[in-house]
Amino acid sequence: MRNVERLCLAHLWVAFTAFTVACVLGTWQMWVRSPLGAKVGTPSLYFMSVTAHGVSMAYVLTTFFIMGFGYFVAVTALNRPLPGKPWAWLGFWMGLIGFVMAVIPIVMGQASVLYTFYPPLTGSAWFYIGLVLVVAGSWIWCVLMIVAMAEWKRENPGRPVPLVMFATVANAILWLWTTAGVATELLFQVIPAALGLVQTVDVGLSRTLFSWTLHAIVYFWLLPAYTAFYTLVPRAAGGRLYSDTMGRLTFILFLLYSLPVGIHHLLMDPEHGTGMKFIQVLLTGFVTVPTLLTIFTISASMEIAGRLRGGRGVFGWIAALPWERPMVLAAGLAFVMLGFGGFGGLINMAYGMNAMVHNTAWVTAHFHLIFGGSAVIMYFAIAYEIWPRLTGREHASLAPLRLQLWLWFVGMMVMTLPWHWLGLHGQWRRVANFNYADPIIAGWGPWVVVSFAGGLVLLASALLFVRNLFVLHRSPALALPRPLYALAVHPPHRVPAALNGFGLWNVLVAILMLLAYGWPIAQFAIAPSPAAIVHRVQ
Amino acid sequence: MSDPRLSEPHVLDQPWRVWATVAVLTIVLAGALLGVVIIPVVQGRAAGLDAFTAICRALGIKPGSPAQPQPSDRTPPTPVSQVTWTPEVLQVLARANTERGRAKVLEVCVACHGEQGVSVAPEFPHLNGQSGPAIYKQLHDYQSGSRVHPLMTDIAKALDEPVIADVAAYYAGQPKRNPNPATLGELPANIVQLVELGDPNRNIPPCAACHRPGVGGPIEAPILHEQGQNYLALQLKAYASGERRNDVYARMRTIASQLTPAEIDGLSRYYAAGFR
Amino acid sequence: MTELHPEMHERRILGTELLWAFGVGVLIALTLGMIVFTALTMGINPPSNVERIDPKTLHLSGEFAEHNLGTTVGPDGSTTVRIIATQFMFVPRCIAVPRGRLVTLRLATPDVIHGILITGTNVNTMVVPGYVAQVHTEFTRDGDLLMPCHEYCGTGHSEMWATVQVMTNDQFKPGADGRVSCAQR
Repeated sequence: MRNVERLCLAHLWVAFTAFTVACVLGTWQMWVRSPLGAKVGTPSLYFMSVTAHGVSMAYVLTTFFIMGFGYFVAVTALNRPLPGKPWAWLGFWMGLIGFVMAVIPIVMGQASVLYTFYPPLTGSAWFYIGLVLVVAGSWIWCVLMIVAMAEWKRENPGRPVPLVMFATVANAILWLWTTAGVATELLFQVIPAALGLVQTVDVGLSRTLFSWTLHAIVYFWLLPAYTAFYTLVPRAAGGRLYSDTMGRLTFILFLLYSLPVGIHHLLMDPEHGTGMKFIQVLLTGFVTVPTLLTIFTISASMEIAGRLRGGRGVFGWIAALPWERPMVLAAGLAFVMLGFGGFGGLINMAYGMNAMVHNTAWVTAHFHLIFGGSAVIMYFAIAYEIWPRLTGREHASLAPLRLQLWLWFVGMMVMTLPWHWLGLHGQWRRVANFNYADPIIAGWGPWVVVSFAGGLVLLASALLFVRNLFVLHRSPALALPRPLYALAVHPPHRVPAALNGFGLWNVLVAILMLLAYGWPIAQFAIAPSPAAIVHRVQ
Repeated sequence: MSDPRLSEPHVLDQPWRVWATVAVLTIVLAGALLGVVIIPVVQGRAAGLDAFTAICRALGIKPGSPAQPQPSDRTPPTPVSQVTWTPEVLQVLARANTERGRAKVLEVCVACHGEQGVSVAPEFPHLNGQSGPAIYKQLHDYQSGSRVHPLMTDIAKALDEPVIADVAAYYAGQPKRNPNPATLGELPANIVQLVELGDPNRNIPPCAACHRPGVGGPIEAPILHEQGQNYLALQLKAYASGERRNDVYARMRTIASQLTPAEIDGLSRYYAAGFR
Repeated sequence: MTELHPEMHERRILGTELLWAFGVGVLIALTLGMIVFTALTMGINPPSNVERIDPKTLHLSGEFAEHNLGTTVGPDGSTTVRIIATQFMFVPRCIAVPRGRLVTLRLATPDVIHGILITGTNVNTMVVPGYVAQVHTEFTRDGDLLMPCHEYCGTGHSEMWATVQVMTNDQFKPGADGRVSCAQR
């Protein structure tokens, strides 16, 4: 444990600092677009803020958190020092420098292209180069995770890789596969356009390449939460993991099916035919499977814990669970948000219904709920769990932690549920100010204010979160850390190589990507889109 | 347990490899069969399309939906401006020779627009620091008759292609006069609002969204700050009446026809005073 | 856990997982089945048209020339609406459509990515430079609807919207050239 504390803390502090600033920006944005702030600010300021908010939340909070957590797992689960630590620090600095490089043009108004940066709207080249650096730094992390697992397997032939490391490496491999899309788009299309080397962009191709990344990236963000469900929550609840095998299968299914489905983000786009869209919708059906399996397995694991604590009856075990522990509380709240968010996801997948909600506030609601809600609340819980071990201190009291988690849950529900409703009524996205004089839009005003109130609660929760971590640095020393990772009911002695490594699954991913994205991308080589002139935001 | 080798990882592997591959391939091929063959063919039958066309449409090889007939159109073109922004045109502008431009300016343009682009009379626009593509487009539009002016039409007809780009680049490189915006007394709130927020009630986007330099808007949108007040008001009125019609897709005509005379006056003052 | 409850035997655990997985499979099959069913019986598709058109010369074209935009009723009675999405306006800004008949909307853009939805309907499509976006629909209720641009297209995005007037048959009267304009209100 001794050699990665600073590395982990560095990553996590960058992640949470970016997160806090982004929360402030998000709250300002909600105010400005509500009837309360109708004349405040300008569209330029608003879209600058949206770009900064999106980049911080989607690319920095997530990537840095996942890297920090991954280094922690690699050392604690495998009980060996991290291989290639200087490389890890290199990756950190690349990411941090890249983030700063991206933020400067944003703040100067030269990169108001949002975090999805759809060309032909093109900002300063430094913005994109900065983001490429962040991604490249994270690739170093991916390699180190794979190397750590490989070295452990060599030293422990025939033994199953601890589930938590297996999940982390699955996520690393997922990230390597998925960033190929956005990296290609940036390196071969957007950055040359931003540098003025080319004057046109093939927009159909750029949207398709971005869609390659767009779905699996949200699973990259989500997988640490699932990792916590399988490996931290059962132990925190005082129980056991119901099935280690299903845990491995879940992460494998995510690796397989979160990649070849990106075109479901392009269901309303004119550059692909119905056939390819249908194939990817079918595959999207299968990416719901691991989530649904997880609900059962983790509920069963919780039931074990509840009954061990004396819970009786069909549902009595629920009340018997140690809800005073932040990890358990967060898991319960995450499951509620996962229910709502996952249901929304099923709606998005069916293109008939997608037509009602595409690019409306429903979409904003969906990803704030499922990512900002389920995933990020587990990031909080993971941070609360590992921070004591990283700092050698313990929380003086768990009450502020629980308060912060509850505030996040309540704020998220109050913010996103009205948005779902507004989206169904046609409120559209990425608007700096609405014309509340219009009769249709006027009816939306009160609900926008309600969700703004939710946003304020979230801001309070975010500030409390940072305070809780800060305070830990000056808290009493940690007495004896209790065991962290859950044991399965039947800890495996031997697992098939297929459940202990990723050789087979990488081959299948390659096949799936070829079948799902082969023609959609090849068609641009055969019949390129008539190119669009670059519109420079400077 | 019989043979301990049976629980070795690589022995347990074989069924996994087989079944996983079979499962994945089945799913994808089922999707392909349904999405590319069965659904389009069935839909095509209802729409009166043959199977081949329906499948081609589902793959995106032919335009149209597999479930509906495709409309057709034979309207002849009647463009309002012949200028298109292709990479070739942008190259021409990027490679323009400002020395040749200056020579032509001293020969022809200086009489009304001045050597530095500061015009000699209020009805002639200032050209210093104006967007190169904007000048280029207007000269071409005068030449093709998309825009009409008693003096400029003949002048433009006498210019040939490379010189137009040279002149545009020359004037674009001339400095603006007054980097600090002059005070208007009080900045009228409704004008500032039109510039920054537009008026969604009348479907008017913010002026700044197109006309502020570096905002990523239309390529031909002219820079307005430090333009002459008279000239700006004249153009807005010409757009409003439809007399000037070389704005592609009638954007300026639509906006200007909704502005009140007071707003036209206020906006002209705002920009003439040097506000961006 | 020295003595295992019979529920906790490894085979039993895997058995419950498989049972649940079977249930999950049924749920997925039903959802996908519904999509296939509506595709086969009602022709429900995502809007797809893969028709390429050069954005740079759009205003020079015949179909998307200024005067050809808006609603046209063809000689065969089919209703086609042609709309340009541009920074930061839809052209035309008011679109007349009939109630209860198939309408085909065709959109193109000369500049950046836009998108449209029509409130209260299933009309929703991205408008991508290089392609003609096409949506087939039938309007079931008359009245005025909002058609905003729903994809970020620049700082004027918030003010970019059009109005759709859904007209009853007696209001929807094509002129001699087949064109229908909005009623002045």
